[in-house]
Amino acid sequence: MVRAQISMVMVLDKCIGCHTCSITCKHVWTNREGQEYAWWNNVETRPGVGYPHRWEDQEKYGGGWVADNGKLKLRMEVMKKRDPPKMEDYYIPFDYDYDKLFDENVQQEQPSANPVNMITGERMDVKWGPNWDDDLAGGDIYARMDPNWKVLEKEITLNFKDVFMFYLPRICNHCLNPACLYACPRKSIYKREEDGVVLIDQNRCRGYRLCVTACPYKKVYYNWKTGKSEKCILCYPRLETGQATVCTVSCVGKVRYMGVVLYDETRIEEVANVPDDKLVEFQRSLILDPFDPQVIREAREAGIPDNYIKAAQKSPVYYMFKKWELALPLHPEYRTLPMVFYVPPLNPVITALDRRGKYMAEYKNILPTIDELRVPIRYLASLFSAGNEEEVRKSLKKLLAIREYFRLIEVEGLSKMEASKVLADQGLSIEDAELMYKWLALGRERWTIPTAQKVKVGRMSHMKKKGRRR
Amino acid sequence: MDKRYRMAALIGVLLIFAASTLAVMGIVPVTAQTNAYTAKYVQGPIPLDPTAGLWQQAEKGNAVLVAQLLTYPQRLDTQPRQVSYAAVSNGTHFAIYLEWSDETEDVPQLGALDQFPDAAAVQFPVMAGEQPYVCMGMPDNPVNIVMWSADGKVENLVAGSGYGTKGQQEQQARGLHKTPTSPIVKLPPEEQIWTASASYSDGKWRVILVRPTGGVGSFTPSLDPGSEVSIAFALWDGSKYERAGSKVTSGWMTLKLEAPAGAAAVETVTVTETQAAGTVTQTVTQTATVTETIAAATGSVKAAIVGFLAALVIAIIMLALLYRKGALKGV
Repeated sequence: MVRAQISMVMVLDKCIGCHTCSITCKHVWTNREGQEYAWWNNVETRPGVGYPHRWEDQEKYGGGWVADNGKLKLRMEVMKKRDPPKMEDYYIPFDYDYDKLFDENVQQEQPSANPVNMITGERMDVKWGPNWDDDLAGGDIYARMDPNWKVLEKEITLNFKDVFMFYLPRICNHCLNPACLYACPRKSIYKREEDGVVLIDQNRCRGYRLCVTACPYKKVYYNWKTGKSEKCILCYPRLETGQATVCTVSCVGKVRYMGVVLYDETRIEEVANVPDDKLVEFQRSLILDPFDPQVIREAREAGIPDNYIKAAQKSPVYYMFKKWELALPLHPEYRTLPMVFYVPPLNPVITALDRRGKYMAEYKNILPTIDELRVPIRYLASLFSAGNEEEVRKSLKKLLAIREYFRLIEVEGLSKMEASKVLADQGLSIEDAELMYKWLALGRERWTIPTAQKVKVGRMSHMKKKGRRR
Repeated sequence: MDKRYRMAALIGVLLIFAASTLAVMGIVPVTAQTNAYTAKYVQGPIPLDPTAGLWQQAEKGNAVLVAQLLTYPQRLDTQPRQVSYAAVSNGTHFAIYLEWSDETEDVPQLGALDQFPDAAAVQFPVMAGEQPYVCMGMPDNPVNIVMWSADGKVENLVAGSGYGTKGQQEQQARGLHKTPTSPIVKLPPEEQIWTASASYSDGKWRVILVRPTGGVGSFTPSLDPGSEVSIAFALWDGSKYERAGSKVTSGWMTLKLEAPAGAAAVETVTVTETQAAGTVTQTVTQTATVTETIAAATGSVKAAIVGFLAALVIAIIMLALLYRKGALKGV
């Protein structure tokens, strides 16, 4: 059965780590008691530990699924793990007693505002925060605590400060196979059938927090004030009116792209169960071609409105994840089939080319150069392709190809036809390159969000199927 | 005999043995612990202080609670627990006293994300004279549950899509948007008739749950003096991260609500919620009878027999299922 999902791509080369997405999200959705510590959107520095502290360490947090003899099981059940993260794992939320700046009696010293625990109101020492490892401050401590660090060679580890860093913005992945949904014994979590947004029904939630443990991305947050759990809602009230999410719209670097993808719902179980190195390839195979007449027919039969199908045809997510294979899911090995994708960073490509002694490298030199980029492929593969380095190379080669194509035209003065050889080698056309240029470089038309239609779409059938264990 | 069948038979016998052992322990959910407890009829206000003489001197019923292992999320600790209980009514109110051991007093701190309160629940059938499926009822035969938790909450709840109806639950659970009947639903504010007072000392929780007698809504039994009702208990230990189905539960027991003695007029003394705990203590007429004890004893024998039969049936069904699925092939 064909389903539609509103999905996101983040292009990491463009993220400047300004946290505007986090701040705007916070002000719109979580600027209230009980959610002080919660950042539905956060930006991490990589390498680094992230937020909550070392969230990728599933031996500690117990999130996601494990494939066990052909059956998917919640890791928390396999581990018999019941405890959700502590406040300290996120951070103790703090503010400053700014009032003191105005109320202080006249004295010799300047008045100063001190950090105050937002929950108890008591003075506190700030020792950890949600972006503590920002810009690799203290990076030689925090970068080494990055769970992905273990895949790297020792020599890279030793000189890492000279090597690389980039930012990783994170929201709820609105997964196709959400562990949080299956972990809830109250059935309080549901995936909207019209756009795939994963939501927690606040009337049903009783604050058991099994979803908090089950989510491998730690993107469900318990509200200690209401006694219920909350999470990113992909700004669904905005989506319904055809607007992109707050984090997307406010993004300074124009990093974020949003659009509809059509996918084959019946294959979710199968795809979530393939070996680690096949996960990206199989997840891609779930996404359907929105121009294929049969897909369109089946989408209509499934009740997907025409404006969704049209949006799917203009969807940057479809092109970047499926058609161009530029974007990759974050930690596909958690097997939740996350639907927020990342274009891995070249970061910065020039230096890498310089090492060859020639900035104007021949295209045929680019291939070996990929492996000498600042960011080790193995590190990126640990984040975005369950260790499959080929998937990362494929993406980076295309990113280089488009740069090379435009450089050949702009700098070398070649014609489009002459320059397009570098594209053809990567399976790209001139049209692809121009669309990429419009989206990635100019940052135009970064989202196409269809307005909500009053159309009855059937219940997600795979959600009813047996064969997966909590 | 074929080796395969011999093994199958052996497994069958083992299953039956295991099931009957569980039945005797009271684990099989369809069985009832039929030991009856009589809630005395008292004159005047009911003391709300758990340490009051009335509660401490009252004859206690005892229930063994075993780990919920039927459905997700199961209890990780399989040790059984025990609760002592006493109940009285006075014509206007019904009160039940619960006492159980718990090594830690778990009351979540302000801002805590990983702390769970200790909790206790008392379950009644919604429909008089019924004894619904003990694991939170069935859609056509629901249960009324009062749940107290150490964070101060007392909730009057109704449950009726039972853990036992897993197939149906699975089917509905995974559905989206159109939310199915919940396993448990909080009743509207006007039906939140229970109040509680609790104390923790010497490693024990002592909790009193009080409500007015008489009908309110269609999901809360009236618990009128002179009536008889089934009752079951559940406990959660917060320090073990117990919540939801991660709990211990009892089977059904019988609670008899004593009628006022003779033709004596029913006193209309009300327990007010603002009353200071433990200020008023009433004398309880202790009239424990031998017959009750006998009834309780025969009741547990009956329970064991019923349990054994049920276990037998379950074992046979399991065996049949296993055989059909081919799980026994090649053993």
